[in-house]
Amino acid sequence: MTEKPNIFDRLAPALLVLGALLTTAAFILNFTSAPLVQGALLPDNGLAVIGGQVVTNKLLLSQKIFYFHMPVAVTSFVALLFTAVFGVLFLVKRNSHYDLMAKVATEVALVFILMTMVSGEMWERFEWGVWWTWEPRLTTYFILMLLVIGYFILRNAIDDAERRATYAAAFGIIAFIDAPISLMITRLVPSGAHPVIFRTDSGLSTPMLIPLLLAMFGFFCLAFALYRFRLRQQTLKARLDALKTNLED
Amino acid sequence: MTATEPTPRATPSVPTATATSAAAATLTPTATRRPSTFRQYRILLGKDLRREFRTREMLTSMGIYAVLVLIVFGTALMQASAGFDVLPVAGGLIWALIVFTSLLGLNRSFSHEKEEAALEGIMLVPLDRSVIFLAKASANVLFLLVVEIITLPLFYFLFLSGSALAATFGLAIVPLLVGTIGIAGVGTLLATITVNTRGQDVLLAVLFVPLVFPLLYACVAATSVALLGGEDMMATFGPAVALAAAYDVIMILVSWLLYDFIISA
Repeated sequence: MTEKPNIFDRLAPALLVLGALLTTAAFILNFTSAPLVQGALLPDNGLAVIGGQVVTNKLLLSQKIFYFHMPVAVTSFVALLFTAVFGVLFLVKRNSHYDLMAKVATEVALVFILMTMVSGEMWERFEWGVWWTWEPRLTTYFILMLLVIGYFILRNAIDDAERRATYAAAFGIIAFIDAPISLMITRLVPSGAHPVIFRTDSGLSTPMLIPLLLAMFGFFCLAFALYRFRLRQQTLKARLDALKTNLED
Repeated sequence: MTATEPTPRATPSVPTATATSAAAATLTPTATRRPSTFRQYRILLGKDLRREFRTREMLTSMGIYAVLVLIVFGTALMQASAGFDVLPVAGGLIWALIVFTSLLGLNRSFSHEKEEAALEGIMLVPLDRSVIFLAKASANVLFLLVVEIITLPLFYFLFLSGSALAATFGLAIVPLLVGTIGIAGVGTLLATITVNTRGQDVLLAVLFVPLVFPLLYACVAATSVALLGGEDMMATFGPAVALAAAYDVIMILVSWLLYDFIISA
């Protein structure tokens, strides 16, 4: 039992600072260098009321949300990938440390999923003029959030540690497989009722790409730092508990 | 990793399973042949069906529950105008009915295995654990299909008798079949998980509904267009059924692979 934290734990504080700097830089660049974006042209030169304003085709300040929203969403997916990978590792190696790692990765994923949902809600309200719509990507992400919340409800409902770890690993794997399928299905099955009114052009110019990539890299650093901090805290807690039970015996 | 040492290591349970089968192999003389996997499957499935035939527990409760859901639908639609056509939303209502009813059946399918340690008894038999999964899932498919055969004509009678069904309505059988298989497959895996948890009924719903969402989406689309018809009906029906079938294949394969870990835990 050595006290020396491993290389990742020593890197974590540095990554936290780096992530904070990068996301701040991205935030500033977002408002200084990235240009405003033209809103979608409304059909037949119409006018629409969005957020209490009559608009036709305006420069959208709310598009700035995108530079926050998309990197956070990508980070949450990466965190969930780790949940599934650690789940497989646990089932193969039967080492409870992998279960802890999967749990912490899912916790980080949930934090980023909630950030994505909040920023996404703002986006919908000010870009699309509605609080909610059953658009494919939204629906899928909503389902994903429910799956992750279900993961924690499942963990809380089981007392036996090994059984909890096995069930959580299996559910983590199956949920991670389910998410891309739901995205694919909502995209590929045409639903006659909904006209396509959402822009999906992704031709980003360089001044737009730079803050986006900075933010994405920054959030990766932040997520990893959070993950290591939480993992270390949980490992120490497990050790403390073990010591306490030893002391009682 | 130095920090991992004090954490208790989970003991693998797979070797104990092989030990049991090895012990069984040494005990029984080699002259007695082990029953084939298919025979084990048939025996396990037969056990579930025989039990149901004797008690009629699942079918009665699922059937009554389905009728109650229909009453709730009727109440929900009661204030609509007299000429209100249910047909455009019929596909969605049918699948809501199936999802709710299947939740009830899936919850029950394992809870009676806990009584008298019946599941432990099955686990003592040296068989491939995936066979348990296949047998249980097949039983759930059959029960669900029986309930559908009873309630869907009732649904037509109560809600659609005034609507003009498209000539292609018979095609709705395809998504119904594909969807039922998928629901039973994923549901059996989740029911095995939740039967050992606190508050199993609620937990099954919490895990099952989001997990089955893609299948539900595809099946609602396919069922709706089959009932509504139209020239470009096949443009939606084809991909929807194909994707639902793909979901079935992927999810049942994954469930099958994971089942041994889950039931041994």
